[in-house]
Amino acid sequence: MQITTNSFDFKNQYGSSNKKNRKLILFLIIICVTFIIYVLKLFSMQILEGTSYKKKSRNISSQLKSIPAQRGEIFDRDAQEPLAINIDSFAVDIRPGEIEPLKRDTVIAKIAEYLSLTQEEINKKLEGYAKATFTPIEIKANVSFGEISNIAENITDLPGISWRSKPIRNYRITQSMSHIIGYVGDITKEELKVLYNKGYSNRSIIGKTGIEKQYDLLLQGKAGAEMRTVDVHGKFILEAPKITPPVSGKNLILTIDNRIQTLAEKALGERVGAAIVLRPHNGEILAMVSYPSFDPNIFTIDKTTEAINALNNDKNEPLLNRAINAEYAPASTFKVIMGTAILAEQAFPPDKTIECRGFVDYGDRVFHCHIGAPGHGPMDLQRGLAQSCNVYFWTVGTEYLGVDIIHSYATEFGFGKSLGIDLPASLKGFMPNARWKERKYHEKWLGGDTMNISIGQGYTRVTPLHVANMMAMVVNKGKIYKPHLLKEIRDPQSKTVIETTQKELLLSSNIEAEIWETMQQNLRYTVTDGSAQFPLRNKVVKIAGKTGTGEVENINDSWHSWFVAYGPFDGAVEDMVVVCVLVEATNTWEWWAPYASNIIFQGIFANQDYDEAVDALGFKYLKKPRRRQE
Amino acid sequence: MNILRNKLQLLERFDYLLLFCVTALTTIGIFFIYSSGINSNGVSVSGEYVKQIIFASTGFILMISFALFDYRKLKRFIPTIFGGYIVILLYTLFFGKYVNGARSWLGIGKLGVQPSEFGKIIYILCLAWYLDRSTTVSAGVRYFYSALILGMPVLLILAQPDMGTASVYIPIFLTMLFVADIPLKYIIVTLSIGVLSILFTVLPVWYQSTETTNFLFKILTASKLRFIVVIASTMIAIIGFAGLILYKLKIYSWLSGIFGVLSFSLLLSTLAQKVLKDYQIKRLIVFVNPDIDPLGSGWNIIQSKIAIGSGGIFGQGFLKGTQSHYQFLPQQSTDFIFGILAEEIGFLGSLFVFLLFLTIFFRILYLLRTIKNTFGYYIGVGILTMFFFHFVVNVGMVMGIMPITGIPLTFLSYGGSSLWTAMISVGILMNINFRRLDF
Repeated sequence: MQITTNSFDFKNQYGSSNKKNRKLILFLIIICVTFIIYVLKLFSMQILEGTSYKKKSRNISSQLKSIPAQRGEIFDRDAQEPLAINIDSFAVDIRPGEIEPLKRDTVIAKIAEYLSLTQEEINKKLEGYAKATFTPIEIKANVSFGEISNIAENITDLPGISWRSKPIRNYRITQSMSHIIGYVGDITKEELKVLYNKGYSNRSIIGKTGIEKQYDLLLQGKAGAEMRTVDVHGKFILEAPKITPPVSGKNLILTIDNRIQTLAEKALGERVGAAIVLRPHNGEILAMVSYPSFDPNIFTIDKTTEAINALNNDKNEPLLNRAINAEYAPASTFKVIMGTAILAEQAFPPDKTIECRGFVDYGDRVFHCHIGAPGHGPMDLQRGLAQSCNVYFWTVGTEYLGVDIIHSYATEFGFGKSLGIDLPASLKGFMPNARWKERKYHEKWLGGDTMNISIGQGYTRVTPLHVANMMAMVVNKGKIYKPHLLKEIRDPQSKTVIETTQKELLLSSNIEAEIWETMQQNLRYTVTDGSAQFPLRNKVVKIAGKTGTGEVENINDSWHSWFVAYGPFDGAVEDMVVVCVLVEATNTWEWWAPYASNIIFQGIFANQDYDEAVDALGFKYLKKPRRRQE
Repeated sequence: MNILRNKLQLLERFDYLLLFCVTALTTIGIFFIYSSGINSNGVSVSGEYVKQIIFASTGFILMISFALFDYRKLKRFIPTIFGGYIVILLYTLFFGKYVNGARSWLGIGKLGVQPSEFGKIIYILCLAWYLDRSTTVSAGVRYFYSALILGMPVLLILAQPDMGTASVYIPIFLTMLFVADIPLKYIIVTLSIGVLSILFTVLPVWYQSTETTNFLFKILTASKLRFIVVIASTMIAIIGFAGLILYKLKIYSWLSGIFGVLSFSLLLSTLAQKVLKDYQIKRLIVFVNPDIDPLGSGWNIIQSKIAIGSGGIFGQGFLKGTQSHYQFLPQQSTDFIFGILAEEIGFLGSLFVFLLFLTIFFRILYLLRTIKNTFGYYIGVGILTMFFFHFVVNVGMVMGIMPITGIPLTFLSYGGSSLWTAMISVGILMNINFRRLDF
């Protein structure tokens, strides 16, 4: 039985109600109306205006060419010394479609000769394109002006060849500066996937490391575009092109002082390690050195795979910035934190002594101080720091402080926390505690572990910049300012300052000023009366600081050598600098960190270069120490 | 015997016409995905068509599997599935893969899926489930919970940020609420908030590119002024609401309604301007006048219009289009596939494709007219809206009369997630069709 739908049926056989049907009819109307509009639009586009479009597509299509923006340049702190610039260079293009097929091979042979390439190399570049395409194909970038003028003189014999300006990045000062500046390269597919929404294209040149990467968006500028009308083969049709001009990237002024950078670089010399000079009162980094370094021009100008492979395979990892991207045990420099903790917690009277006999029994193990029996004798806090006596800190660390307090103070100094520096991929370091060990190794935290962390060994890991920051905290009496490398952003044309980096607090502590002052006195005493008196003798500037000598697994006759210090000890805080030097144990043992630091201080404050400073300090003929020094 | 009769009944009710249209569209899609991978030398440079064949064949299996079991049995699992979907979206937001600058993909190695595509089905099912079981509840409460079901996935997708996919969720919401007898005023309020927010987001960019300044421009760009306007209109809305409660006059409900909508849309557009980049907003308006950005997003529109126009009545012939093979047309295999199709098979061919889509819409409408089960009815409306919206926005975009939103053309565009979503939806439609006479 079939019941027809009529308007009085509330609900018919199919469950349709009047109201429902009305709504569906509304849908039907919307669908039909849209459909009619779309068909009419399509009809008008394809049939009424079809011929005009057809002409457009056959004869004239638009070709879009991007005009690259000039990348911003990078300068050191006086804005005088250019560190990264763009040099004029040319790229040579070929349009195979403009060459008569018969002449093709001769033209390629000739241009190959002018560009000192082989014909195979050029043919390889042309693979994947139509034989007679009018699209320009780049056959060589970084072509010199001389080569271009050769080509220009013979251009009548070289149909289809053209050149254009393609500036390349040139790094004027390489070596240790390379870790700071970084380098640029072609954007990869993976990078583009992430940056697609930020105005990058598949032909962008992008900063890969260092400042170039960190401030890429500022340096990048905005590419312009040129639209020309071309026929279907890509041949230009005479008509003025539409141009959107590019916007140049901003110039960056760094906090780096090239003079101090060079000084620190030479002071570290050819020793695997790192050196940092910073201004504690605002966090400006004046020098940051990591050895070994590399020549970033390999990535922009030479671009040979052998050179790049050699860099990547070097076991000393020249691409690694050891100042912020490598972690080490802080060794005895950690005693600065221990000393502050002892004073602030009032855990142990600073003038009470502990007898060092050269070793201490703990559990079933004997822990040896760095000098043998009879040991350092009676040690109070000041002398313990000056002699870097392990027995003193082992005893106080395990019996009076404990892992939790040590951990909390180390964290207060920024250990295990982000450095906040404006360079990519800086490490956080690591500060262990009992809970972490149990979770990671399913083992209980033992007294021996507390002994280890009390002298900066064991699981603790920091970057040299963490250690420099630690000293900045002592100098600033409880404040660490964010270490930074960018001083100003300037307009590339007018050179006016657009933005100046303001100092920014990274960490602050509630420890009273008196305690910091006591620590400053102790650190000065460490330099004047401590184990490293000789290397730190300096007439120009009063230094206060702490050494460190780190045990490294599998290396027995050499140690990580640390020195972190500030000076001038009695100067205004605005004049002070913090210097931190780390020389890895992989070098032959020289106990070099204190010497290097002293040379840096001497150079900065006596306004001397490396050789003058070495002379003034009498470091010209040094005997290498045979034994471990602390 | 009974079971056998049931099975026979299923075959009898099998919607052959729908199946034909879907098969035809998918096949045409594969052909033109192949065509889009041909370069100017006539050499195929893309393997996308092979992948699409695999997606299509697995898609048909998915379609059949979703047609077989009784869809009403799903009801029990819907809250769990929806919850799982939200968790997956959250996961995608933080750990997903970037595609075109949006973190919208989840993947293992080279295989990847776009959860927000499949999510449309889950969302339709969930909304239908809620609307179906809440008929006794007051309209305001129903609206509120439905808006939650809409809001959670949409905000997460917007954060990816994938504006295109998120925009599909809203019309589905509107039509499903409309057929679920939610009073028209709710729908109008939602619609006007949506339209105004988009307008307020887009207008400053529009004024900037045409270099006009007027009062509205100042309100929308000067953040202080904007803030004052938001505060003022919120105050008026609150006063209106208070008046409504005190005096029960209609004028007050209008007052609070209009100003409430105004301040809400201003806030939403502020948020949108924060999330979206300038040039993304430009894509939304460039269709009105491609010349405001002829070298950026306008380029796509100019090129695709030339492609369509050069098709003429009969087209340039399969594999013979110039726009596409010389790589003038962007995203030829995905969002702009209709351009290459219109260029190569012309007006008549495009009309045929249009008719296939129209038939699908009509088949769904017919199903909706005859269905007795409200749960299935709501699902059907949701799927119809989804298909229709995709069609209108995508084809409109390629013809230059709709904004560029990155919405693919159902069945035709290259892409596994999109095709499988469509196939599963068709499977569910068939499923509903088999059981349309059951309450």
